[in-house]
Amino acid sequence: MRRYFLLAASSALLLALFISALDESRRPKPVALIPTLTGQVEYCLTCHLDLAQISKSHPLQTFGCVLCHGGERLALDANLAHSTMRGGKNPSDFSVVQASCGGATCHSGTPESFSNHIQRATTSIQATYAGAIANIRYTFGAQPDLKARLGIFAVQVPGSTSGITALASFDPARETNPYVKAFGQNCLTCHLSAQPLPGSEYFRFTGCAACHTPTQSADRSNAQQIQSNPIHKLTTAISYTQCDTCHNRGNYDLRTIKFEPRQDLPADRLHDYYQPIAQFTSCEWKLDCVDCHTRTEAMGDGNLYSVKKDIQYIQCKTCHGTLTELPHIRTLTDPNDLAFRLALLNPLVDLKLGDTILVTEKDEPLWNTLVLPDGTYRLVGKATGQVFSFKPVLGSACTQNGIDQSSAYCHTCHAVNR
Amino acid sequence: MSEISRRDFLKLASAAVLTLSGLLGLDGLFRFLDTQTDPLPPTDFDLGPAGNYPPGSRTLLSDVPALLLHTQAGFSAISLVCTHLGCTVESKPEGFACPCHGSRFDLQGNVTRGPAGKPLISLRTGITSDGKLHLYTN
Repeated sequence: MRRYFLLAASSALLLALFISALDESRRPKPVALIPTLTGQVEYCLTCHLDLAQISKSHPLQTFGCVLCHGGERLALDANLAHSTMRGGKNPSDFSVVQASCGGATCHSGTPESFSNHIQRATTSIQATYAGAIANIRYTFGAQPDLKARLGIFAVQVPGSTSGITALASFDPARETNPYVKAFGQNCLTCHLSAQPLPGSEYFRFTGCAACHTPTQSADRSNAQQIQSNPIHKLTTAISYTQCDTCHNRGNYDLRTIKFEPRQDLPADRLHDYYQPIAQFTSCEWKLDCVDCHTRTEAMGDGNLYSVKKDIQYIQCKTCHGTLTELPHIRTLTDPNDLAFRLALLNPLVDLKLGDTILVTEKDEPLWNTLVLPDGTYRLVGKATGQVFSFKPVLGSACTQNGIDQSSAYCHTCHAVNR
Repeated sequence: MSEISRRDFLKLASAAVLTLSGLLGLDGLFRFLDTQTDPLPPTDFDLGPAGNYPPGSRTLLSDVPALLLHTQAGFSAISLVCTHLGCTVESKPEGFACPCHGSRFDLQGNVTRGPAGKPLISLRTGITSDGKLHLYTN
């Protein structure tokens, strides 16, 4: 009996050792990386060697993986390695963005204020959703005016120059009006911290990646495929289709306080806009949103605002001027001009010292434009690379009063027939 | 042919299994003891005979990364690691350019455009008694 037991025990030991050796032989050979910025070895490439570099500004050899994503850098087991990742697949989610993307050499607290994207983005109305909340609460009598008081999360900006220095957290449970409560339950899927609605047309990430990691191709037929594939990309070449994941998918119905998704299947971009009665100029459907709208309009300028119109200021005259004034321009004489930095991130144009570009009324560089010697202008589409030429209004047959810049005025003559 | 008894068979089988287990275990132990830690990045680069780098030459050393210069003053080297975030800068006719965030440096490594705030680092070189040129990054 004892000999049977000995044989069984030794067989079990052999089997265990064999399984262990087999498991060991199947494990991939560890691939080490010591990023310049951390100086600490990490083994993420053991499994992720084929992953595309996320952007030219975040080279793998410099940043590695762990600096942005977190995780257990020495682990070779996938579950253990991923167990402490920040934000799951999205380290730019606003709940963890400071740890992932922040820091004085990265995107918060830098000496170059234009790089402090985190402070600006997390206080922008795209993040706070303060405008929508204020509008609904005012509409249903929960507050006396349209001034924002509440945001998706509480936030303070003591130095805000907009007149709003703090927002308290919007809590639908504390609201007494049933419509405001319903708004809280049904209508909070569009701010940058929200999980999107189901469906490939709504799919996007949260935080910075909502815009800078495009999930939607300009080719609509690829949307499903792109969603199902891993996306490892950060870009400033943002197609209008990415903006559309929030801004062109339907409307909120104030009668039912529900989001009503569009039901049509647009055949082309001109008919892709959901508002059937809206009019658009050529610029509005041939260009991408980011070709005109600036970084501070989209990401905020660090102040708290109540509504979109408080931060969005680009008008037709920004590029075209008026009957009496040419648009603002700037000749690039400073090698540290922000235009060069922005052009580097999306190298579609070869800006040089001495080039003259258009700038906005707030002196933001429209780095993808160029003032040509003949007085006309050139714009290169940031997402498409398409080249557009255009002229100033001054000297043209236009008779529009320069102060009338709302869309209805320009659309009177320049609306595209659709 | 003699028949093996059940007792002997069990003894033999147990011995064989234990021997195999021991061998597998020893193999694992040797592999564990033989594990090499990842070497630290080198700080001393043997560049071969100094004569390989004639006066006036500019040699890109991509594995350092650095640019080796042989001027009338002798050998010198500039690190190609950007002082902003550590990307490798590219050598251009007018100096150096960082492809990551756009910093620019002149031919001496001085900053001409941010975001880098410090010049590229000058690296030490030396020639050994056997005529080999060495570059030191520490």
